[in-house]
Amino acid sequence: MMKRYFSTLWADIRRDWQLYLLLAPMLIWFAVFAYRPLAGLQIAFKDYSIFRGLEGSPWVGFDNFRELFANDLFIRSFWNTIILSGLGLFVAFPVPIILALMFNEIQNAAAKRWAQTIVYLPHFISAVIVAGIVITFLSPSTGVVNLVIRALGFEPIYFLTQPEWFRTIFIGSNIWKEAGFESIVYLAAIAGVSPTLYESARVDGASRWQMIWRITLPCILPTILIMLIIRIGNLVEVGFEYIILLYQPSTYATADVVSTFIYRTGLQGTQYDIATAAGLFNAVIAFVLVYTANRISRRLSSTSLW
Amino acid sequence: MSEVELSEVVKRYGVMEVVHGISLTIEPGEFVVLVGPSGCGKSTTLRMVAGLEDISSGTVMIGGREVSQVAPKDRDVAMVFQNYALYPHLDVAENIAFGLRVRHEKRKVIKQAVAEAAEILGLTEYLKRKPADLSGGQRQRVAMGRAIVRRPRVFLFDEPLSNLDAKLRTHMRAEIKRLHQRMQSTSIYVTHDQVEAMTLADRIVIMNGGRIEQVGSPMEVFLEPANTFVASFIGSPPMNLLDATIEIGDAGPLARIKGADTAPLPIPDAFRDQAAAGQRVKLGIRPELMRVDADPSTPGLACQIELVEPLGAEALLHGEVGRQPIIAKVETLSGVRDFAAVRWLGVDLSGLHVFDAGSGRSLKTASA
Amino acid sequence: MNAQMRRNIVQTSRIFISLIALTSACQATTALAQEANYRASADPLELTVHYHFRDQYVYTQDWPVEQKAAELTNVRVRNVASSASTNSKDAFNLMITSGDLADIVGGLKDDFNRYGREGAFLPLDDLIAEHAPHIKAFFEAHPAFHNAAAGADGKLYYIPYIQDGTLSEGWFVRQDWLEKLGLETPETPEEVYAVLKAFREQDPNGNGQKDEVPYFSRNLGNTLRLMNLWDARVSGSATYGDFAVYDGELRHPWAEQNYKTAMSNLAQWYKEGLIDPEIFTRGPRAREYLLGNNLGGMTHDWFPSTSTYNVSLADTIEGFSFRPMLPPKTISGDRFEDARRQIVTAEGWGISVANEHPVETIKYFDFWFTELGRQMANFGVEGDTYTIVDGKPTFTEAVLTDSQPVNAQLWEIGAQVPRGYVMDYDYELQWSNEIALAGMQLYEACDCLKPDFMGVALTDNEKAVYDRYWPSILTYMQEMQQTWLLGAQDVDSTWDAYQSRLEQMGYGEVLDVMQTAYQRQYGADQ
Repeated sequence: MMKRYFSTLWADIRRDWQLYLLLAPMLIWFAVFAYRPLAGLQIAFKDYSIFRGLEGSPWVGFDNFRELFANDLFIRSFWNTIILSGLGLFVAFPVPIILALMFNEIQNAAAKRWAQTIVYLPHFISAVIVAGIVITFLSPSTGVVNLVIRALGFEPIYFLTQPEWFRTIFIGSNIWKEAGFESIVYLAAIAGVSPTLYESARVDGASRWQMIWRITLPCILPTILIMLIIRIGNLVEVGFEYIILLYQPSTYATADVVSTFIYRTGLQGTQYDIATAAGLFNAVIAFVLVYTANRISRRLSSTSLW
Repeated sequence: MSEVELSEVVKRYGVMEVVHGISLTIEPGEFVVLVGPSGCGKSTTLRMVAGLEDISSGTVMIGGREVSQVAPKDRDVAMVFQNYALYPHLDVAENIAFGLRVRHEKRKVIKQAVAEAAEILGLTEYLKRKPADLSGGQRQRVAMGRAIVRRPRVFLFDEPLSNLDAKLRTHMRAEIKRLHQRMQSTSIYVTHDQVEAMTLADRIVIMNGGRIEQVGSPMEVFLEPANTFVASFIGSPPMNLLDATIEIGDAGPLARIKGADTAPLPIPDAFRDQAAAGQRVKLGIRPELMRVDADPSTPGLACQIELVEPLGAEALLHGEVGRQPIIAKVETLSGVRDFAAVRWLGVDLSGLHVFDAGSGRSLKTASA
Repeated sequence: MNAQMRRNIVQTSRIFISLIALTSACQATTALAQEANYRASADPLELTVHYHFRDQYVYTQDWPVEQKAAELTNVRVRNVASSASTNSKDAFNLMITSGDLADIVGGLKDDFNRYGREGAFLPLDDLIAEHAPHIKAFFEAHPAFHNAAAGADGKLYYIPYIQDGTLSEGWFVRQDWLEKLGLETPETPEEVYAVLKAFREQDPNGNGQKDEVPYFSRNLGNTLRLMNLWDARVSGSATYGDFAVYDGELRHPWAEQNYKTAMSNLAQWYKEGLIDPEIFTRGPRAREYLLGNNLGGMTHDWFPSTSTYNVSLADTIEGFSFRPMLPPKTISGDRFEDARRQIVTAEGWGISVANEHPVETIKYFDFWFTELGRQMANFGVEGDTYTIVDGKPTFTEAVLTDSQPVNAQLWEIGAQVPRGYVMDYDYELQWSNEIALAGMQLYEACDCLKPDFMGVALTDNEKAVYDRYWPSILTYMQEMQQTWLLGAQDVDSTWDAYQSRLEQMGYGEVLDVMQTAYQRQYGADQ
């Protein structure tokens, strides 16, 4: 059976070797950058020293994990991660979809191009600059936001030092930065909807609003679900560089996430074993989330990643 | 009162004019087929009636009301599209109900209308299926069901059968015809297939290059083509058009076929008045009007047969008459078997058509 | 006047230098070069060096200083570190992981001590004793420095870059504002309060708006420097938030009672607008922005760079005078300067186990501790960047007047790079701004630096305890520090909870291992 499989495969490769050649770089990439480093996961179960290497470092079982979970700052950072990206999912996920729908309704081609360019632009600004812009905008003395607040007769707010504001700021600025670019996927999906569906709907008497609700959205639903599953898989990942730029010790209560926790405690102190343990834990959670989301999606809408 | 009336309708894309001032009147209950080669403007014309394309100039009236500036949904028309335009996420019942749903019809009314349409189209057992789970013919029926439930003043069909295979097409064609007979609704049907046009139409509108070439009943356009375009478009295989010159003989005008080594053929009476001596014409002979068993003394054409295509009861003979290609469609069940050896094709002179070589117009004078 | 003043400062700073000078300071270098034998190897020898430092530089044989050294020592180094890397720590780790160790490795103390104990680096003490008379003499004169650099096993695994001079930062105040408002330089916490209050409310910049920012800072270390007024300390060493020595006992300054008092008062000051309301987010350009816009009144920052604003802003702001002042007395009547230069830095170089010529290498290291070697490490190449004037290395006019800062010029030729050597404070004094010099003179005279906690080397077990608890504790401390200052929580009512939380997080355990290590390392000195 197995032998047959391989001989067929070999015949296929000989016949379509050009196609397999095209596939090769991706396979090699995965092998080198995704599969080979899997061996490094054992670091999580060792008292790791980079000089002694993987072989030379002694096994310590689940000690690293125990140490992590004994640390309530890690637990806090874990929940912060989930809350931050969970909120981000609820609030930020629909925005690119809405944007794409809005772009699709712009009739004037030139206006559409302009609008798209303008909302894509922030994506290409580095996180450092975005953080700078956010800090400037929210400055209690000279920031635009506080100038407005003051003009309305309220006390200025030092946003970036108040834990209760951090999530709003982080998610809000991320939407500003990424929503436009993320809308490209949905625009592509909308472009794939047959125009006769709209013509048919027009003849049938649907308004624009009805066309969005009854045609566009249902037709791009598979795309939306796939994106959602991917997002859910990234729920436990919050990029640390932008957080590090925005957070303050005073906002750790809501801003400290797993990646920043690892950065502060692990990498700065060269605790690769602890950092690996935290990373592995993250990956396991992410896998469970994606698997669950995928199953639910497949059950409900017959759309799934695999 | 006419149901649909187009007058001087023009469509331009930028500087390119694709429909050059079409005028057409359609009576209530009539089934009109717009037919023509691709790019002739038939679909554009239909879409202008639907309101999916703006009209550059001219007017469109539906039910006595000018609708040139009216939105599609308010024109009281329903349209069936070539690719069915079914909503993939809705099941059959929901697809059929769509037009009523968006018009906020009452639930009960919708349910009843859907059931009725499904009954008519034989879709009752498929109501809960998604389009992806249906065959091509079933999808086409759903698309029609969606139009039917609306009970529109005018049905518009945009090449609805061209995505189906030949057998299914024949079947659906008959179904559409039955449906029309039952509903007696005004319909405009666009196709490039002359068989569909002939079988379905009360009246055929033959279009070419953004203009109407001829309007008439199927038999009218077949028997009395107004010009060489119609003559060669309607009928399969198309009418043979041979270059010829008019000579005035003792018994009246004769057509001498260019390069042919045969006696000139007398032309039917209806064409005589406009035929002038020395006029260059196209002599039209339907392939079906030629016989192989004729005596060379009877009127006919001396020919060379180069290729024989047997079709069963009939055969197509491809040959040359005086270096001009010619096709004859002959019966195979009569005596002659060796078609390749045929040297003389008998012609039924009463079926001849004569067109002016320059303008392509038929020389036939309006029948008295 | 200038020359006179500079000479005075140079004199005072000699206290240090005279301690470590091994040969007569008056001896001419040229003579040195002829007389002494700097040969580290009989035959020409090439040693590989991997030293990526400060995230952008690599130690290279192309530096004129290094070429000159090769001539004198017969040891030629060859760089094997990638100059493409932008992270020194990564570059170091990568080399260690690869197992392909260079002969000479540059890096940081903790790494040397950790991997040294694991066998990656040679213990240097025996080699020094036998082959490196200058290094030996230096450490004999300064046993504390040896202790500061040594690992938990008491062995030395790297030769540190040792700084000279102890002063780094000081207090600065807008002298012209004081004069305008008829105030004296503040001497007590009450006076500081009065001055900051006046800056806030009496519109010293005269633009009619209450936009003055009385106390500001551009970095973490100085954000809460005002806590010194209540005897509390920001750090016990040059590292932000480090432990401090209290009568031979290690404790963390942010767990002390005086810290509570300080935070409680600072929160009030912050509330009254005496501390920059945006102090946490203003960032590294705060000083430039607030001084440049005539808004900032007082700060605590480095002498040389802060002084230069007097020059650069002289034309734009009339009468601008931002002068160093002595640290105000504390509520207990003490007077101290909290910030200081780290003498034994964490930077330096060591010998890897892969090195087949440890004796020659230690001799080469020793060269940089000879007078000539030290001169070259500090001033560059004689005749090129400096000449000997009155027996002292002195920068040439060309170097002093170049548009590039002197230190930047020196880095380019391989001087003042963090190899294992002893810095000469004189190098900095020669090109420092007069106002900075005056400030430093003031502080020298005051002699109010607190003793430096030079760090401890932890054993594996101690390190495990430290790593388990300390990062979280420090995080929590910083979090509470800001929370208190911003007024989100009241200091007095939450202090007890803070203390018990620290205990719960393992503060006691961390103190235990730190104290043990401290005793082991410095016990002999106490």
